[in-house]
Amino acid sequence: MNLFTIPLKNMRRKPTKTFLLLLVFSLGVMSIVALYQVSLVVGVSLEQKLTAFGANIVVKPSTEKLSVSYGGFHMGDMLLDVKDLQETETTAAIRSIGLNDRISVVAPKLVTMLKIEEVAIAVVGVKWADELGIKSYWATNGTFPQQPDEILLGSLAAEKLEIRTGENLSLYGREFRVSGTLLETGSDDDSVILMDLGRLQEMLGQPGAVSFVEVAALCSGCPIEDIVAQIQTNLPKTSVIALQNIVNQRMSSVRFVQKLALSISLVILVTASAMVGISMLSSVNERKKDIGILRSLGYGKSRVFMIFCLEAGLIGALAGGVGYMIGFGASLKTLEFLTLADGAKPVFSIAQLLICASLFPVITILSALYPAWRGSSVEPSQALVSL
Amino acid sequence: MLVANNITKSFSSEGKDVNVLKGISLNLEEGDFASIVGRSGSGKTTLLNVLSTLVRPDKGELNYRGQNLTSASESHLNGLRKSDFSVIFQFHHLLPYLTVLENTLLPFMSAFKPVSKQIEKNAMDCLGRVGIADKAKRLPGNLSGGEQQRVAIARALVKSSKILFADEPTGSLDKATGENIMELLARLHKEGLSIVMVTHEAEYARLARRTIEIEDGRVVHTSASEKNHTGLTSS
Repeated sequence: MNLFTIPLKNMRRKPTKTFLLLLVFSLGVMSIVALYQVSLVVGVSLEQKLTAFGANIVVKPSTEKLSVSYGGFHMGDMLLDVKDLQETETTAAIRSIGLNDRISVVAPKLVTMLKIEEVAIAVVGVKWADELGIKSYWATNGTFPQQPDEILLGSLAAEKLEIRTGENLSLYGREFRVSGTLLETGSDDDSVILMDLGRLQEMLGQPGAVSFVEVAALCSGCPIEDIVAQIQTNLPKTSVIALQNIVNQRMSSVRFVQKLALSISLVILVTASAMVGISMLSSVNERKKDIGILRSLGYGKSRVFMIFCLEAGLIGALAGGVGYMIGFGASLKTLEFLTLADGAKPVFSIAQLLICASLFPVITILSALYPAWRGSSVEPSQALVSL
Repeated sequence: MLVANNITKSFSSEGKDVNVLKGISLNLEEGDFASIVGRSGSGKTTLLNVLSTLVRPDKGELNYRGQNLTSASESHLNGLRKSDFSVIFQFHHLLPYLTVLENTLLPFMSAFKPVSKQIEKNAMDCLGRVGIADKAKRLPGNLSGGEQQRVAIARALVKSSKILFADEPTGSLDKATGENIMELLARLHKEGLSIVMVTHEAEYARLARRTIEIEDGRVVHTSASEKNHTGLTSS
């Protein structure tokens, strides 16, 4: 028997009222937990889907740019000491960073220029599986290359070269079949010839060489800067650049989902807290007699205040624990029902359960502060009027 | 032991100040048994509340064992009510959701530290003294009015109160039960407890060592009882 006994027994005294209050707050916690879990999983899932729309990190060789002028004439910029990257080492280094679970796709590329019938054009060697992983928006009027001796033309390149799908094109003395032409993308891809990376390396006599590597990273769990820093540490002689506009664009979609969930959660939380506050206020009015008895027995204002806060805290702790469990179950069912997560599932976390069981009491206590203060401010003489 | 000197108290009612106590002075000795009598609205209960520190007087001085209670801090008064003073009321003496034993131990439950086994044993002894030890685990709702009043008295005993303030302790009880309670109070007084009791029952008032009669907020008559506090005359 101690100070806890009073609020505990009072809660048991009116089981229906206590149950309803617990139910309301548990439903609030449940909704918040379910929304949080669903938004988290949907956010990750959404970001994974968005990686198909381009890379957000580029790894390229370190270069020194020199602006050359002579005799009053500007002769343009010169790149010094450009060395290609090594495909195997570079991709392995990227895949081995601490945040490797955040790396979705690594797409190495080799770029070269050549002239075909007086038309200067860029040829880009790619690994098709990786490239299509980050450019799922590509569409072709034929098929994507299945063999090393098949190539894909950008729409402008095809127009310049006047070559159609199904025809052959000679590159470095070898014949390649044009398996398809890209439908206009509005990007640099429209002006290039795309072919198998290995074949291009072989033809150029540069086995394993790549000009740059595009990386699609998932940024919802950590900032892109952390991923960039880790890649930079593993590849000190390269230049690692985050494409911030793409990152921001992508994250804004993910954050929209999370902000929406947060806003709804806040509304639910405020409503549930108001319910607790109103209930405690009515409890104070109902229990003026109790307050009078306690004050007559030497309970100070702080003790009366504490009794009401403890009662609110107990409701918060119970509702936090129960609400988390139900909310977790509800998030599983919601994701299953709405098929939003592509197999991804929320992870049950003891830490989150403990956070709920300790955070929500604080919230209920905060919402009970005014009623508790009102209760403690009741003078014994006022309370005793009803005795 | 408890000295009230020129106590005044007024309350606001419908925008007007109503003077309830108009300069009351009285002196309560160690082991005293004083009954305060008077008509309804004469100020008996207000006087009891002032004496028991539940209400602060507007003017005048209240001294307890040399301490001026009029200017004492709230926490000091709380401490006094926790240890030396006990108040029992006509109705609603107990928290309905606590058992008889818990209600008896209520003065000791204001901390997070659990009540010791020794205090719990004392509480059981006190319940025994008032004759309801066998009902320690019951809720007040399952007790008669007289039994509830006994629990309130046991609560005063367990904290070894020096003064018991009783506001119409028999007001809500039938005659036989009221007499039982009065016999209990008389017995406790004989054992050394000081009692200040508000009552409008002349027969019970005569049980006290002295009777203070109040009218319109003033003491109009004080008389010493001829009885020797041995008990009630049967009627």
